Amino acid sequence: MLNSKNGGRPLAAAAVASVLTVTAAACGSGGTGDGTAATASASASAAAEKVTITVQTFGSGENFGYDSAVEAWNKSHPNIQIKYDNLAGNFESEYLPQVNQWLEAGSGAGDIIGIDESGMGQMAARPQHFVDLAQYGLDSRKADFPEWKWNTGLNKDGKLFALGTDVGGMAMCYRSDLFKKAGLPTDREEVAKLWPDWDSYLKVGQQLKSKLPKTSFVDGPVTIFNTLMVQEAGKAGNLTFFDKEQNLVIESNPAVKTAFDFTKKLSEAGLSAKLAAWTDEWAAGQKNGAFATMACPSWMLGVISGNAGEENAGKWDVAAVPGGAGNWGGSWLAVTSQSKHPKEAAEVLNYLTSKEGQLHAFKEAGGVPSTLTGQQDPVVADAVNEYFSKAPSGKIFAESTQSVSPIFFGEKHTQVRAAVEQVLLGADQGSVKWGEAWAKFVAEGQMAAG
Amino acid sequence: MTTVQHSGPGARRHRAPAPVAGDVFRATVLTKVMLGFTAILSIFPIYWMIIIATRSNADVHSIPPPLLPGGNLGENIKAVFEAENAHFLTGIVNSVIVTASVTLAVVLISTLAGFAFASLQFRGRNVLLLSVVLTMMVPLQQMGVVPLYQMMVTLGWTNTLQAVILPFLVNGFGVFLMTQYTRQAVPRELVEAARVDGASTARIWWNVVVPAVRPGMAVLSIQTFMLIWNEFLWPLIILRADNPTVQVAIRALNEKYSTNYVLVFAGTALSIIPLLLVFVFFGRQIIGGLMDGAVKS
Amino acid sequence: MSLDVDAGRARLRPVPPGPHRHRQSSTRHLLSWLDMRATPYLFVSPYFLLFALFGLFPLIFTLWVSLHDWQLAGEREFVGLENYTQLLADTKFWNSVLNTVGIFVLATVPQLLIALLLANALNKRLRGRLVLRLSVLIPLVTSVVAVGVIFTQLYARDYGLVNWLLGAFGVEPIHWQNQKWSSWIAIATMVDWRWTGYNAIIYLAGMQTISKDIYEAASIDGATPRRQFWTITVPLLKPTIIFTVIVSTIGGFTLFAEPVIFGGGGMTGGTVGQFQTVAMFIVKEAFRDFDYGYAAAAAWILFLLILVAALVNYAITRGLGRSR
Repeated sequence: MLNSKNGGRPLAAAAVASVLTVTAAACGSGGTGDGTAATASASASAAAEKVTITVQTFGSGENFGYDSAVEAWNKSHPNIQIKYDNLAGNFESEYLPQVNQWLEAGSGAGDIIGIDESGMGQMAARPQHFVDLAQYGLDSRKADFPEWKWNTGLNKDGKLFALGTDVGGMAMCYRSDLFKKAGLPTDREEVAKLWPDWDSYLKVGQQLKSKLPKTSFVDGPVTIFNTLMVQEAGKAGNLTFFDKEQNLVIESNPAVKTAFDFTKKLSEAGLSAKLAAWTDEWAAGQKNGAFATMACPSWMLGVISGNAGEENAGKWDVAAVPGGAGNWGGSWLAVTSQSKHPKEAAEVLNYLTSKEGQLHAFKEAGGVPSTLTGQQDPVVADAVNEYFSKAPSGKIFAESTQSVSPIFFGEKHTQVRAAVEQVLLGADQGSVKWGEAWAKFVAEGQMAAG
Repeated sequence: MTTVQHSGPGARRHRAPAPVAGDVFRATVLTKVMLGFTAILSIFPIYWMIIIATRSNADVHSIPPPLLPGGNLGENIKAVFEAENAHFLTGIVNSVIVTASVTLAVVLISTLAGFAFASLQFRGRNVLLLSVVLTMMVPLQQMGVVPLYQMMVTLGWTNTLQAVILPFLVNGFGVFLMTQYTRQAVPRELVEAARVDGASTARIWWNVVVPAVRPGMAVLSIQTFMLIWNEFLWPLIILRADNPTVQVAIRALNEKYSTNYVLVFAGTALSIIPLLLVFVFFGRQIIGGLMDGAVKS
Repeated sequence: MSLDVDAGRARLRPVPPGPHRHRQSSTRHLLSWLDMRATPYLFVSPYFLLFALFGLFPLIFTLWVSLHDWQLAGEREFVGLENYTQLLADTKFWNSVLNTVGIFVLATVPQLLIALLLANALNKRLRGRLVLRLSVLIPLVTSVVAVGVIFTQLYARDYGLVNWLLGAFGVEPIHWQNQKWSSWIAIATMVDWRWTGYNAIIYLAGMQTISKDIYEAASIDGATPRRQFWTITVPLLKPTIIFTVIVSTIGGFTLFAEPVIFGGGGMTGGTVGQFQTVAMFIVKEAFRDFDYGYAAAAAWILFLLILVAALVNYAITRGLGRSR
């Protein structure tokens, strides 16, 4: 967790790393303009005075995994130095309010800020806070990204304000040591066969509990709820809490209710460890084997390996998620309008979201690149996660993201999500009765939507 | 309720242990047990924190919990300063700057005003002094947080140290304390005599009052130092995460490295050390000052 | 807290220039007159200037903000008392008031009682008295955040020391954050741990001003030490007790850091606001949901609550022991 350079990282072979630095120099795959803008203007601004570009991100553990990318850039660009700052672990309740406060106040935000998918709806509705990236030629990058990733970065005026960094994808992480104790298969192919859908997943949980009464099956209500909701959203017009006119549809959207009902079922079956995601005890649970499975987007691997620590290397593994593909999370970068050096900031943003920058981040923290060429790069395609029992993580996640349709996020999505997650937690832990939870869930959502 | 004596540092209090009627002042076994228990309860959490700060994470969840120090203090402290997302070193430096400036300014402002209220005559004195006492009742921190933030935004001072420092200079308690202290320590006759000698008010303050109220200034310094060093809410709101005060830095440690208990505890222990040092060196004065202040208000 | 405003003595005028100093320049006279008149104001002005800027102005401005739908930049709409009417109908706000009052009572009553007994014990003849006095004050120098961090660990559900101890007596592990009663107790113990020693020292100071002769007379009349404590010490300490009650009231009603750390840094105070205090409510509204006007209204209500609570507690404390 402590930025340990040797910490549990999804390590690609060292050989790949050296190949990468060579290709970095000869960048530009198929004339997509990927990275070329940056190198060209870097020489142009060489005569200018030295500027520092602050990049603000969120997430615990390895968060965005930009250490090595920033180091490489700072070496080769003496006049534009990047200062990389991870501000807070939790996006909804800590990072976003803080950044919003600075955007409103007109000072305090970095030149570049990271935005999680769940905050993109809100940011797209506030064009005044961000620079139009097309002014700096970044609209030439369109062909690099899947269409949905690109379109999410357009604000309500249709201007390009953010470019994609990583995509989440979706898988199920599990503790093979606990599965073995419970007499369940441990091989990831066979484990995936155990749970083609969520009902069978619940049955596996009951089996495990009958053998290991002291072990929970899932970490808590929040991760499962989010996973199911984004999966189900695909069948419900890609909507979660809001429709495209920004009306709250929390009560009528079947995706929300299905996810809620399953979470309730799991909790009432006594399979939850009752832990709130992103808390101290949640992290400790990953370390101590308090629960046997946890839904995990690609960026979650870095969180788990960081939290569980070296002593648990090889105990975790990754299998396909029940119910097919899905995408949870993934981020974008934007240049704020309070930046004093928008041109240089756009160059840095271009580099960090390029294939090269994304591969750096993938090796450091496991987030799958959102660029098409990045996803197909052998570094990702052949990546094997040492920590997760040598699971072919690159392949698992890339497959789950390619068929994904983008989910629409309303302007107040994060506020609603933060509020309803508290209700789920309360019901799971017993401060709210499950019988009254749905009504409270809806009411809290309505209150948060204002 | 006022008393005639005040004690400077080291002055002996008037409690001669003469064996008078006594049995009210005799310590029974029960009393001793209770005091011992209280002392242990007071010290244990801090002791436990220091123990954890010297161990490794593997020891933390062991049953029974560790109660003796280990040998990892050095590396844990190093890790705290290297934890890049907590900005701990910046936090320490900022806290030192803020605390020192506020303490100096508050002591100066309070000593000046205290002298005026205690030994000088001017129209509206009583009304003004009463208003100082009333302002002690207002929770400025919580009430003014929105407008103060708006003010700093307008001035363009968000994320600056002056934004942290300025609101804390309003310290009604300090003025009140120094007024009471000056009343006790500087007899009117002394001021009058200096006047007759033709000294100006400013000279009287510098040559007569300041030397006499030094102990009071010391007490106020220590109290202000503790108060500001421990302040949390306002710095949390006005400063950016990469430019924290020490308290905000501990919270960041607690949030971002939550499973790394030894790191969190080592950082927390580090944040208390300056105050513990003050306490070890000035403990007697702190107690004396607290007791004086209490008796006088 | 008593305040003897003005010692009420007639001030001596500066010595009038004697006849033999006829030629004394009048400018010097004027200067000294100015010095007498103006310097006092000069000396108190720094405090009042700062107070006007960072005390009075924010207070009035808070009132102004609370009458608006306020944005940091952009549109600001005057809404009159709407924020207040909404707030008084907001169950979440009243929940935070209930938590604040509940934790305050739970923390303050035992704290002051224990402090009284502790002060009485520390007032006896003992070896190592200074060491004991210092050790009960140690918690005071520990920062609030540190207290929050340490105690939150002690109260952790799965690996906390408290649950481990309770488990030794066969009690099931308690999830302290989960219920009102348990979270209140946990937070109240943090407050108690930090302030009991401080209050004990304050009471001790008060006790030392009580003349010994009173106790001696009581002993001769055959009063037991316990009786002497309740009939002599406590009534005579009343002014000091009132002082500590008022200070505790202000502190208790603005409780913020302990519950924030206890809840892992969030402003919601648990899953259903089990321990969200009014100060947390204000910060959440202002700096999490950007509802500045609403937060300002809550701040004013908090101020009124503190005034009312201080008056009520003052009355209760004054009435204590009246019958005796």
